[in-house]
Amino acid sequence: MTCWNCQSATGAAPFCAACGKLAARPPGATHFDTIGLPRGMDLDVGALERQYRELSLKLHPDRFAHADPRERRLSLEQTTGLNEAYKVLKEPVRRAFYLLKLEGVDLEREDGSSRGSMPLAFLEEVMALRERLEEAREAKDLDAAQAMAGEVLTRQQEALGQAQDALRARLASGGTDADALQRAGLALGRVRYFTRFLEEVAAMEEEALG
Amino acid sequence: MAYSEKVVELNERPVNMGTLDKADPNVGTGLVGAPACGDVMRLQLRIGDDGIIQDAKFKTFGCGSAIASSALVTEWVKGMTVDQALAISNRDVARELALPPVKIHCSVLAEDAIKAAIADFKKKREERAGKAAVAQTNP
Repeated sequence: MTCWNCQSATGAAPFCAACGKLAARPPGATHFDTIGLPRGMDLDVGALERQYRELSLKLHPDRFAHADPRERRLSLEQTTGLNEAYKVLKEPVRRAFYLLKLEGVDLEREDGSSRGSMPLAFLEEVMALRERLEEAREAKDLDAAQAMAGEVLTRQQEALGQAQDALRARLASGGTDADALQRAGLALGRVRYFTRFLEEVAAMEEEALG
Repeated sequence: MAYSEKVVELNERPVNMGTLDKADPNVGTGLVGAPACGDVMRLQLRIGDDGIIQDAKFKTFGCGSAIASSALVTEWVKGMTVDQALAISNRDVARELALPPVKIHCSVLAEDAIKAAIADFKKKREERAGKAAVAQTNP
């Protein structure tokens, strides 16, 4: 990419190093690039907060209220991108899903096929859990639902830990460890189904408070 | 986002919701999940020895579109041959229910569930045929 103002080359940084004008967001920039931190599962949360605050101030559209239209637009774009990067990276679950996507496995894809994605035994277990929860809901037995939620929460955290370990191994291998990538995908799949279950219990609690 | 009339109708009147006997040799069970949302769908078909689908039941834990997709295909497949049921595509389901792009995966789930149920039925039948062959050679 070249700077729209001085034509020198720009990188992932939000400002042109040569003339200091706001740069366009490079296509393919990752959230890690946007926030200016190295790609990894274990993010320095303090550094994330600092980078976010600093960049938010520098990029804030108010600072460009009197700049030319091009910079005003870029300030908006950069701020939107920064907010999205911060939102995804600060949450360990979202960060893990995002890293998995950067490694080429997108569990968010709407047209994703369901075949072969999770072992049948796991899906059977999820079905049984959801059926038990439905019974508890029909019986208005909030205690039973919350007891199940406690167990599922433990398993969700376990699965997240396994996903994080697998992602670390994948990143440490420089993107070559196919087995680690598969383990990460399966573990995050489990996280997704357990999270869905916990959302259902939360909805039931809200109903009960009604 | 508003659901289409057909989706609402199938949710208010969820015909064919329920279970068939998993142990019945003529029942094929398909269990699929959506990795994008964490929902699960079970579709069961009772298939006669003539290859005609006699009955279909579903149980879906998911959004209204997922429930409607599974209910719709249970209505469609009854009376079909296995090959006709295998030809049902998620696009047919999405079109009939007027699903928006973010709900296309619900129709994919329904198509996959039919295929999984039929695969399960075929596996059962092969196992039965295998046992029968063994019984014949070892009277």
